[in-house]
Amino acid sequence: MTLHATFPDTALDPAPLLSVAGVSRFYGERIGCKDVSFDLWPGEVLGVVGESGSGKSTLLRCLAGIDRPDAGEVLFRGLDTPLDIYSVPEQERRKLMRTAWGIVHQNPRDGLRMDVSAGGNVGERLMDRGDRHYGQIRERALDWLSRVEISGTRIDDRPRQFSGGMQQRLQIARVLVSEPRLVFMDEPTGGLDVSVQAKLLDLLRVLVRDLGLAAIIVTHDLAVARLLTDRLMVMKDGHVIEQGLTDQVLDDPHHAYTQLLTSAVLSV
Amino acid sequence: MTTMIRVENVAKAFTLHNQGGVRLPVFGDVNFSVEAGEALVLAGASGAGKSSLLRILYGNYRPSSGTIHITHGGKPVDIVAAVPRTVLDIRRRTLGFVSQFLRVIPRVSALDIVRDPLLARGATPEEASERAKAMLARLNLPERLWNLAPATFSGGEQQRVNIARSFVDPSAIMLIDEPTASLDAANRDVVVELIAEARGKGSAIVGIFHDEAVRERVATRYLDITDFRKAS
Ligand SMILES: Nc1ncnc2c1ncn2[C@@H]1O[C@H](COP(=O)(O)OP(=O)(O)OP(=O)(O)O)[C@@H](O)[C@H]1O
Ligand SMILES: Nc1ncnc2c1ncn2[C@@H]1O[C@H](COP(=O)(O)OP(=O)(O)OP(=O)(O)O)[C@@H](O)[C@H]1O
Ligand SMILES: [Mg+2]
Ligand SMILES: [Mg+2]
Repeated sequence: MTLHATFPDTALDPAPLLSVAGVSRFYGERIGCKDVSFDLWPGEVLGVVGESGSGKSTLLRCLAGIDRPDAGEVLFRGLDTPLDIYSVPEQERRKLMRTAWGIVHQNPRDGLRMDVSAGGNVGERLMDRGDRHYGQIRERALDWLSRVEISGTRIDDRPRQFSGGMQQRLQIARVLVSEPRLVFMDEPTGGLDVSVQAKLLDLLRVLVRDLGLAAIIVTHDLAVARLLTDRLMVMKDGHVIEQGLTDQVLDDPHHAYTQLLTSAVLSV
Repeated sequence: MTTMIRVENVAKAFTLHNQGGVRLPVFGDVNFSVEAGEALVLAGASGAGKSSLLRILYGNYRPSSGTIHITHGGKPVDIVAAVPRTVLDIRRRTLGFVSQFLRVIPRVSALDIVRDPLLARGATPEEASERAKAMLARLNLPERLWNLAPATFSGGEQQRVNIARSFVDPSAIMLIDEPTASLDAANRDVVVELIAEARGKGSAIVGIFHDEAVRERVATRYLDITDFRKAS
């Protein structure tokens, strides 16, 4: 079910935004993730589900440029020429991570500067991008705070004065203000209580749709996957065991493990 | 006549891996097509596989074999083999599914739920609001509910929101599973009219109606699923 005003005409998009081929990462003898391949198109939201320890975060970190995989290739096509993100110098990869894509961490403390004001946290990303006009930066920061439902009167407060849910919303504003093409999220509603989660999920759903973002969202919560994602990848022991359209995978799962996963929850 | 759906050699069996791997055949050797302006009603006893077939047409269940060509943007596209983004595009522009239940999205109002498909297809916000309100009124949903999220609505109220959403801008193909199950007679009549109007505009309809009176008013043709069971 989609609820948004503009649809990118995906059928006409010729090239994927991200091409992932044979990505593997090992921790000594242990498999982190093994031989993962897929393409992601502009505007597509991919969910990664699986039990604890199945390799979801390991995979996301490889894709997002945080941890170098032991094998495989991550090709970002959102620029003029496709970029194999691990074949370029560290500095270039960092720049890409700050400008063309965004990462929402499960713990907002990992994504925020806790000693900088809320406005500063949002504005910093614009300055990274080269914006210099202080008035405009503050104005956009205010706009984004209101989009994530944080009152403008809190703009000078530090994140540590915020509740967990507010911190998470602030992190989302910080990530989205620079208008990334691609966003990575690891359990974005993980540490929050249920009512706060619902609100944040709705916010994410609207933002992802309205901005036409491509996103990869790791979650162990199938209801979250149902609400936010177009496609689903199911992981077990580091391998992708089933993937496809989200409602297909959840309603007509073929793999034994996916059937177990979907029957373990009463209603998604 | 334009063929909107062509089903060829479709079979479906479920394998229940966590119940000893038992294989549950539902049907086999299903072949039929549906033209624009037709209303094909699926018949067969409970458990015969009517809903499963409808879900397969929508790309929600995957058949064990066979092809299903949906006329999308003037061309036949096999929804069984299509990649996810193509399936989503087909659903967005060509294929609507009306179920018995509304999937409630937190915090989204009834009016916004009904406006959404219009906006998605390029209507202005004003036009979308106007048509959405007219549709909710037609289905007798009290105006005081329009700006509320349907999470707290009764079953019948939610169902009417769902129907309003589906018929405010009927798709070229409408798949309908028991839409009148918890409606009173007056609202059932509205649904029958809405289906007839959609058909009049050229929509191809495939539906399941357990209410015999409704079924007879809607159907231009029947397909008995039981006939395909022995082939499974
Ligand atoms: N830094 C590390 N060193 C050694 N092993 C690791 C490290 N990080 C992860 N692992 C192992 O790799 C496997 C995959 O871990 P990962 O964190 O990717 O799982 P996950 O699917 O994100 O789980 P969760 O849902 O609990 O977050 C696990 O067996 C884990 O113990
Ligand atoms: N996701 C599923 N996984 C496993 N079995 C399923 C699934 N969906 C349907 N079935 C089985 O397929 C068979 C056909 O079910 P279906 O819901 O299609 O029947 P129906 O004709 O719509 O029945 P009713 O008139 O009662 O709604 C049933 O035996 C049902 O248990
Ligand atoms: Mg993890
Ligand atoms: Mg049924």
